Amino acid sequence: MARNKFDVDEDLNQEFNLHAVRRILAYLKPYRGPVAFAVALMITASFAGLLPPWLIQQALDLAIPHKDVGHLILLSLGILATVAVGAVALFLRIRVMNRIGQSIIHNVREDLFRHLQELPFSYFDSRPHGKILIRVVNYVNSLSDLLSNGLINLIADLFSLAFIIAFMLVLDVRLTLICLTVLPVLFAAILLMQRRQRRAFQDLSRKQSNLNAYLHESLSGIKITQSFARESENETTFRRVGEAWRSSWMKAVGIMFATWPVIEILSVLGVCLVYVSVVDWFRDAISIGVIVAFVGYVWRFWAPIATIGQFYTSLVQSAAYLERIFETIDEPSAIVDAPDSRPVTHVDGEVEFRHVDFRYDSGPAVLSDLSFHVKPGETIALVGATGAGKTTIVNLLSRFYTPTGGTILLDGQPLDALTLASLRRHVGVMSQDNFLFSGTIRDNIRYGKLDATDAEIEAAARAIHAHDFIEKLPEGYNTPVSERGLRLSMGQRQLISFARALLADPALLILDEATSSVDTETERLVQKGLAKLLDGRTSFVIAHRLSTIQNADRIFVIDAGKIIEEGKHAELLSRGGQYARLNGGP
Amino acid sequence: MYRWFWSFLRPYRFILAGALVLTVFASALGMVNPSLTGILVDKVILGRDFGLLWGLLGLLLGATVVRMAFRWVFVMTFEHVSQRIVKTLREALFVKLQRMDFAYFDRTRTGDLMALMTGDLDTCRHLVAWVIYQSFENSLVFLFSVSVLMSIHAGLTAILLLVTPAIAVSAIFLAKEVRPQFGRVRAQFSRLNSVVQENIAGNRVVKAFVREEEELRKFRTENDEYRNRNLEAAKVWGKYIPLIEGFSGLLMVIMVLGGGLLILQGALTIGSLVIFTGLVWALTQPLRMSGWLINDAQRFAASLERLYELSKVESAIQTSANVPAPASIPDFATAAFEFRHVDFAYGAEPVLHDVSFSVRSGQTVGIVGPTGSGKSTLLRLLARFQDPTAGEVLWGKVDLRQWPLETLRRSVGFAMQDVFLFSDTLEGNIVFGKPDATEAQAAEAARQAQAHEFISRLDEGYDTIVGERGIGLSGGQRQRVALARLLLADPPVLVLDDTTSAVDLETEAHLQETMRHLYGKKTLFIVAHRISSIAHADLILVLDGGRIVQRGQHADLITQPGWYRDVHFHQLGLDAEGAHHGA
Repeated sequence: MARNKFDVDEDLNQEFNLHAVRRILAYLKPYRGPVAFAVALMITASFAGLLPPWLIQQALDLAIPHKDVGHLILLSLGILATVAVGAVALFLRIRVMNRIGQSIIHNVREDLFRHLQELPFSYFDSRPHGKILIRVVNYVNSLSDLLSNGLINLIADLFSLAFIIAFMLVLDVRLTLICLTVLPVLFAAILLMQRRQRRAFQDLSRKQSNLNAYLHESLSGIKITQSFARESENETTFRRVGEAWRSSWMKAVGIMFATWPVIEILSVLGVCLVYVSVVDWFRDAISIGVIVAFVGYVWRFWAPIATIGQFYTSLVQSAAYLERIFETIDEPSAIVDAPDSRPVTHVDGEVEFRHVDFRYDSGPAVLSDLSFHVKPGETIALVGATGAGKTTIVNLLSRFYTPTGGTILLDGQPLDALTLASLRRHVGVMSQDNFLFSGTIRDNIRYGKLDATDAEIEAAARAIHAHDFIEKLPEGYNTPVSERGLRLSMGQRQLISFARALLADPALLILDEATSSVDTETERLVQKGLAKLLDGRTSFVIAHRLSTIQNADRIFVIDAGKIIEEGKHAELLSRGGQYARLNGGP
Repeated sequence: MYRWFWSFLRPYRFILAGALVLTVFASALGMVNPSLTGILVDKVILGRDFGLLWGLLGLLLGATVVRMAFRWVFVMTFEHVSQRIVKTLREALFVKLQRMDFAYFDRTRTGDLMALMTGDLDTCRHLVAWVIYQSFENSLVFLFSVSVLMSIHAGLTAILLLVTPAIAVSAIFLAKEVRPQFGRVRAQFSRLNSVVQENIAGNRVVKAFVREEEELRKFRTENDEYRNRNLEAAKVWGKYIPLIEGFSGLLMVIMVLGGGLLILQGALTIGSLVIFTGLVWALTQPLRMSGWLINDAQRFAASLERLYELSKVESAIQTSANVPAPASIPDFATAAFEFRHVDFAYGAEPVLHDVSFSVRSGQTVGIVGPTGSGKSTLLRLLARFQDPTAGEVLWGKVDLRQWPLETLRRSVGFAMQDVFLFSDTLEGNIVFGKPDATEAQAAEAARQAQAHEFISRLDEGYDTIVGERGIGLSGGQRQRVALARLLLADPPVLVLDDTTSAVDLETEAHLQETMRHLYGKKTLFIVAHRISSIAHADLILVLDGGRIVQRGQHADLITQPGWYRDVHFHQLGLDAEGAHHGA
């Protein structure tokens, strides 16, 4: 999978595909009834809106020449009635359509978000987070207009167009045919412009995404920028990305704003044609009322065509968004439950790796032919150089990744025979990445066990010796922490994430360099609590500090994806191998 | 506030004025079509003066083409100007943000800044690109059409004008009621945004605790609320829009009835009625628009206020006016750092008290102490990421606040605890501090930082792109890339904030070798958990609760009872096989 930088345009399907549109239409399905109602409303409204020119024709040709005031009043009341019907239909339509549009957006976003939860780490690791965020929030929002107005308007406009042609034909067939000769020119013009517009908007969307990603990253990495005094270089880049967006924007709107004038000019041309033909050919054959009404219809004739064109434009704009939304939904979640997998209810903690191979994407092999067996309740320390594959081993165990070869068994069951959710509920991971959510410290600890009482939370904090520092904070457990847990030191954040994991009370515990940022003394305190926790639980500990490692039941020394030494601390030291050398032994 | 915005608009005032003049012409030309149509009906069709036909149609087409051309030109002019202004504004704010102090970023959420830099800026763009000329054009269209209609039949026009206030009032009510709704939608949008953002950033934790369902529940709450608030806003909209449409339709009824009666009396020609029909939209459209324009203007005011606020925030880090001339900048070789009675507090929360020490150039300072004792904060003061709340930090006998900030920060290099790598290649990340470095230099720095070996093993080597937070690499690998970045920048003062915590022992031993080459050549500040990393330091400071509780050299400190000796023996005891804790 190619990784994505801020200034590299994301690949986008160049061909506008109907497939994406069909999929968004599928979201309309549950709302078939309301949609039909809205379409009916639109048809009624557009029919009502088209009656006045005909009524005016009646007035000009019948009521006025006959000096029939009663008829005139009747016709005026007729117009009033069409206005009233139009207003009521509009009122209902706004209600119904917004409900449908908002519900669909709501559902699309939920599907997208739900799918994100299933995606593997590699998805999040391989692209800037800003680009994922914008898909879930902004792109989905941009569908709002397309769905709540665009789509229904399209259907209604097609009906309007049919009605208008019908009215025109009723008024005068010859004039209608003459008028329609402009149509092919109009279609050709619209087609030509839309194609260019589409390309321009796709480009704009890419540039927008780049700009946002750069902005987001600059803000996240501001501390590094400042410490290297790189502000002015960043500003140059920012200016360049912003300029690219600006010039794309100008190109896109330049074409967009040219569409309406073309339609307007062509429609005036159509009206001119009507007058010329009336004067040259049908001088006496056509009444003034018919001419006025006919021209009235000709003016209305272009509006639906223009809005259909606009719908196409917004469809094109949204198509780029649609493609990315569905691309994300279609992103295969590498790790899915096998169809015959079943949930685990009880875990003893027996772990076996059988000839396990693993590589990331197309990278080099990280693990090759790794086999080992761990008894329930054993504590295993994994040691070895950075990049030896220690973290990979534990990530495979909680199925954040799937082995490329071999099998991993838990209590004698292959991992992929168990449902993911039930497996992870029994496997607790405390990693070096101690992300805290915004909320209070209490909320963050409770994340490990959602129904935990305050007393349980405090007990967990006490066990890992976080209670003291939390109590000392001005608001204690109710102290809010922000997105990256700022204001708290790294060590404090780690202690909170410890308490969180402790509260979850998993049968199998993984400590992945969990104590690296805690000072030695705090670690010593934490270890007393952990010793009790590890007791009776299978656990894997990755640490660089021997103080953390030496109490393990067994130590695996990992090098280049293989176990090169195995045994207790004392045994390994006396063996005089890699482990002994690491410990400065002979 | 508006003066501030005007300062961005000012350079374009003549272009904007020109565009507005074009708007006047275009609006006036908009009156031509209905009038010509009326004349056509009266003179040519009813009056049978067919010679006029071609001339009138030529005028009709010509006026349309010219009007459309004008319109395109002025609309594009407004777009052009709005883009320029927003670009300048965005860059100015970006420059501002780049220079804010750390404390600002500690209390401000990235998401909120993103909203300012995207949504609020777009509201400003919209004002210039759309609201300004729409307001102007609509007023003109209204005025012109009233005058044209007045000149045809004042009485009928007056009756039509009686209905127009109803439209305007509805439009204004709409704008007024819908505004707080938009505010609510916006606030909810930002909550939704935060939930999604945190979920993405914390995806590892979510998966580790199998909290997908809980996350989905949190998300659903916000997503539902977002939909509901949008619907509430639509309800207001749905109340007034049909009303406005109804009133506009009423105008047509009045016109047909009133116009028809006037024709019967001979007071109006059929052609004039055609003109009325043609211009009715010109009466109603501006009124309909008025509500939206007022609304947009209000949104602009709100956005502008937020942006203005940002532009007014001053970084807590300011360089004193009497910056020493370059000649007075002391030689790095002799410049000493000195902390004099330094206090630091985050708001009311004290972090450092009365910290005093001094260190000569080329010396190494080791800083140790329990979690949360103020070690990282002390380091932040060295490059003025924050200023002390009391006391002073001097470098070369000059208060840091008087140093040119850029010189200071280029001279004091950091490798931080929380490693941030940019979405760039590994090489791009390493040369971050020295963009003109050659590939060989980058590789050499990586070698010194013990990063070369693992980088070479990657398929794409130095061209491997790392994700936003550099997550593709392990913690130790990230730390070494950050160290290479620092070593390549090669500043005279190096600050290492627990930079080897995630590195394995063997690699750390190599790194210590690298560091040894720097002793005496560079001034080093090292925060570490392992006593062995700082044992050789010229000065060791033990911090506890924000105070220096012990100071001296390793040999002295291990003889004094206290935190240092305890930890030292604890670590030794565990490191040497068989030994027991404590002294």
